[in-house]
Amino acid sequence: MQRVQENITIEDLKQGSDLLFKKIYEENRDKFINFARKYNLPQEDIIDVYQDAYIIFYNNVMQGKIEKFTSSISTYLFSIGKYLIYDKLKKNNKTINPDFDLSLIKKKEELVDSDLDLNEEELTTEQILLKKYFVSLGKKCQELLSLFYYRGYTIKEIIEASEYKSENVVKSAKSRCLKTLKERINNSNG
Amino acid sequence: MDNQELLYHYFSNSLTSEQEILFQNLLETDAKFKAQFEFEKDLKEAVKSHETDNLKAKLQEVESGINSKQKKSIFNYSNLAIAASIAVLIGWFGYSTFFSTNYTSLYEDNYNEYPNTVFTITRSEDQNSLEREAFVAYEAKNYQTALNTFEVLSEESPKDYIRFYKAQSYLGLEDNEKAKTLFKQITKEHQNFVAESTWYLALIAIKEKDKTQARTYLENLVVNYDYNKDKAQELLEALN
Repeated sequence: MQRVQENITIEDLKQGSDLLFKKIYEENRDKFINFARKYNLPQEDIIDVYQDAYIIFYNNVMQGKIEKFTSSISTYLFSIGKYLIYDKLKKNNKTINPDFDLSLIKKKEELVDSDLDLNEEELTTEQILLKKYFVSLGKKCQELLSLFYYRGYTIKEIIEASEYKSENVVKSAKSRCLKTLKERINNSNG
Repeated sequence: MDNQELLYHYFSNSLTSEQEILFQNLLETDAKFKAQFEFEKDLKEAVKSHETDNLKAKLQEVESGINSKQKKSIFNYSNLAIAASIAVLIGWFGYSTFFSTNYTSLYEDNYNEYPNTVFTITRSEDQNSLEREAFVAYEAKNYQTALNTFEVLSEESPKDYIRFYKAQSYLGLEDNEKAKTLFKQITKEHQNFVAESTWYLALIAIKEKDKTQARTYLENLVVNYDYNKDKAQELLEALN
């Protein structure tokens, strides 16, 4: 089988292609399941952890936290996955199967990249409210705000990636979106 | 530069160090600015959480696609079973021809090289470069290079996983005999990678069409370990 991931760059991923997103997921899936089996978790949990690890990896790429791959994608996934499994086991207070050595599990300091954002914070009440009303915005607003806040695009980059023609247009569109969002939240409270 | 401009730069990670100072100052002195900043920071988390939900939904879709594909292949198994009984009826010749191809596909469906789980390549660039070199080669599937380096390493420091990855490299090079010898040594002399080695010994036996031997390894795996238990069980059924 021709493996693609060795040649994938951050820039490729940042294009946001669904196809690539799926391909990388499928290519590392069996490997990850095999690796996670030794932690004696049910298959559904393993899949769940794999998805979460993959999303964390992807979010970090998208948000510019990983600027350059310092190791293979699978190394990132394994490293994040190990951390999540450790967390899960701790939370479940689960005993691990006897032929597994607990010291093999890594802690956050030993993550492949200790700057990774692991999505650990629960949303605050304000954030939950914002999320709820963000979805109520028009598609254009959602896309613009997503480019700005999720992808961390500069105004210039937004112009390159979208149909907006000038900095001023982007800026005023963005402030209109924020205004609508604020109004909707305030109306719901009042 | 107006305050809004500072926020743009903050959220695109492009504040200069001078702007950074200005930014911090404003946060402490200007309540309105601080409120706007908090609002946008919360929004950033909200958008991220929304994107995360989307990604999760996408992956679940991919996952159900994979599952339905697997179901289909289980279905094919039952077709194979029917074909097998017909083959038995046709005669022993048909039967043996049928299964001789099946061994190879059983092996290929189940063989995956064991991932590097012991050596994190990125964080150790300055320590023990030889070990790093070996695992870099291993991950890149340059098994011959990996093997040569593991060879030197095992003379220097006899860590038990080196032997396991040496065996893996042989397997990658399709030198089953050498791989087998090493895996056997591991199951006898080591504490780590015993279950894993047993699994690979079973796969080699399948490749060599040694059904009895394969069953012995698989049964051992199912009874004594958790590693690849489900797969071992499936293989046992397929070998029945």
